[in-house]
Amino acid sequence: MENTKIIEFRNIVKSFDGQIVLKGVNLDIYENEFVTLLGPSGCGKTTLLRILGGFLEADEGSVVFDGVDINHLPPYQRELNTVFQKYALFPHLSVYENIAFGLKIKKMSKDIIDQKVMKMLKLIGLEGYENKNTAVLSGGQQQRVAIARALVNEPKVLLLDEPLAALDLKLRKEMQYELKRIQQEVGITFIFVTHDQEEALTMSDKIVVMKNGEIQQVGTPEEIYNEPANEFVANFIGESNILPGVMLDDYKVRFDDIDFDCVDFGFKKNEAVDVVIRPEDIDIVPVPDGKMTGEVLSVLFKGVHYEIIVETVPGTSVTVNMNVIRNQDVVSADGKEKISATNFYVDIEDVPNLDDKEIIARSNAMAWDTETDDYVSIAKIEYDIKAELGAYSVIFTTAKGTSIERVITVVNQPFVKNEKANEAVMAFNFTKTVDEIQESQALDTDIKTWASAQGWKLSDESQSIDIAVDYDFDPDDVKEGVYKIVFSTTGREFKIHTTDYSEVGQEVGLTFFPEDIHVMSRVVF
Amino acid sequence: MLVLPMALIALYSITRHGNSIISFSLTLEHYVKFFTDPDFLTVLTRSLWIAFKTTVICLILGYPIAYYISRSREKMQGILLMCITIPTWINMLVRTYAWIGIMSEGGILSTILSFFGLGDFELLYTETAVLIGMVYNFLPFMILQINTSLCKMDHSLLEASADLGATPVRTFTRVTFPLSLPGVISGINLVFLPAVSSFFIPKLLGGGQYFLIGNLIENQFITVGEWNFGSAISMIMAVIMMLMMMAVNKIETRNAGGKEE
Repeated sequence: MENTKIIEFRNIVKSFDGQIVLKGVNLDIYENEFVTLLGPSGCGKTTLLRILGGFLEADEGSVVFDGVDINHLPPYQRELNTVFQKYALFPHLSVYENIAFGLKIKKMSKDIIDQKVMKMLKLIGLEGYENKNTAVLSGGQQQRVAIARALVNEPKVLLLDEPLAALDLKLRKEMQYELKRIQQEVGITFIFVTHDQEEALTMSDKIVVMKNGEIQQVGTPEEIYNEPANEFVANFIGESNILPGVMLDDYKVRFDDIDFDCVDFGFKKNEAVDVVIRPEDIDIVPVPDGKMTGEVLSVLFKGVHYEIIVETVPGTSVTVNMNVIRNQDVVSADGKEKISATNFYVDIEDVPNLDDKEIIARSNAMAWDTETDDYVSIAKIEYDIKAELGAYSVIFTTAKGTSIERVITVVNQPFVKNEKANEAVMAFNFTKTVDEIQESQALDTDIKTWASAQGWKLSDESQSIDIAVDYDFDPDDVKEGVYKIVFSTTGREFKIHTTDYSEVGQEVGLTFFPEDIHVMSRVVF
Repeated sequence: MLVLPMALIALYSITRHGNSIISFSLTLEHYVKFFTDPDFLTVLTRSLWIAFKTTVICLILGYPIAYYISRSREKMQGILLMCITIPTWINMLVRTYAWIGIMSEGGILSTILSFFGLGDFELLYTETAVLIGMVYNFLPFMILQINTSLCKMDHSLLEASADLGATPVRTFTRVTFPLSLPGVISGINLVFLPAVSSFFIPKLLGGGQYFLIGNLIENQFITVGEWNFGSAISMIMAVIMMLMMMAVNKIETRNAGGKEE
């Protein structure tokens, strides 16, 4: 590959309606390269391409083409051609006329146009289709015509804006090879925009990974896959296990309390890093041979391989009591109003945060008209609560004087810490009526709310952790009594792709080579 | 219900005057009468000629307006289209009467023109007055048709054209205009056909001196009472219009580009 620069993006900034889409993009593109701009939708990749095509003007920065600043050139004066997302073939022209469009504009003679168009039809394998209407062609054929229409002008650079997005999977695979073949045959630079990482890996010489208007990493497919620059790239390109670790020294990294040899260097001592291990790089071995050990949680057959989830660090869990009680609604003297509320527990630290609204929410206090079922507002709340352990009474009263008394218990709730997994979980006992449980639309979520269940990272308390709920009663058949509810986190799980089968529940060892550990500096998004 | 009046007209056109529905004798004399009388043929050619002029003027005025509307912002588009549509909600007859006020002697137009020293000239009851009236009445149909086809056009086609090296002018002649032809053609149909057979615009603005085929038919039915002859003229017009439409549609299909197989 020659190393002549053909396009330079210099500090390109672009915003739409005050929203910044490109935040100062710098990128060099060389001759004869197949470059892919890869990223999720909204990352700015198409905007960058359209700026290069001349359909949008950058707010700041410049685009240099072949050493010349082309910022203010209109599209028709730029020596590049575009293959549009939905092909944009001219419906009033035949296949031949579509391909010949650019040449006729350049006023080439009829016989030269003939010659060039026929050559293109041969290149894209559509000889004999020249007189057809484009509407009768299949998606793949239209795609080829669009490519031919652009290539026939012999541009130095071909821009392709998600050209395969509208094709079905099989055709897309075919076109990937086709495009690569065409690019190698004509030997010009292709700039290809896609959100499909597999497409990018298959075709590109160079991949530019973008996110939120910024370039995350530029590299060959191998570099991007094997040495992702950060967590975003690792996640976006292929599947991966990403875990927090500490770089102890050059070639030494620690994660999950174990020290490993690795091939990475140049980090600060004890720098916090993210570690990536690809699922296919981990092998399952007998426990004594493993660098780590864990329990097989699930095994999924994926065709060529099994996807096995191994838990090396158990999750953190906390168990609370759910007191199920009879309905204890209070009916007013004239029988026209009903009021209900439940007892609840509150952590001693949270007492200062309690106000009328919070108490009504936590006790689920409500009142309603018995005839119309309309809610009646609670007019008065009386309570005297101190930040000391004990039980306190609270009285809810409506405007008509219907009232109910309940108990708030102030407790010093211990939370469960799990240093190894860097997390903590906390939840409270709670009291509910049979009706409330049976009327719940989303019981798991409601139980989490009722129990004020929460999980967080020990290293950063503001970062919450997902908690799963587990119980063994049937919500449709719940009776008065006490039930155990377990809240737990998932712990450390590794995803492994292997051709060897493992039994669920088996204790296994995990092993990998130092070069399979990819260390990335941690990015705060 | 839809066919019956048409069938009756067709029947009337080939029967003698004074026949009852039950007994009638067939004849082609009305058709012969029309095509042998130079006066009638003059009226026919005059009608076709003024309809043609109306259509051309509507096209020349309407296309740029439609193009401008289709290129303006969405909000502006709505407002402009409203401005064009709202007048058509008012009865055509009433609006034509308004033009009498504008064009008559000492009317708004001559007053304005006299400011520029153009003097007091007679506009009402001339061919120009009829033409103005027709263009005014039929222009909205032309604009709306063309605007619809311009708005339907995929914007990426224009980008593709620019991408392939076409200047904005080239893009217009090679992409935009050809693709708007269906709108132009239905616009032509919607202007030409009613213009040929219109009778109250020439009557009001032409002042009886300017006699068109529509007036002729009206005359035969209402004033003269020659229903059979009137029907024959109507049939002749219907055939002419049909031929026109066929010709226009042929142009349209020839434009489709490539074989559809």
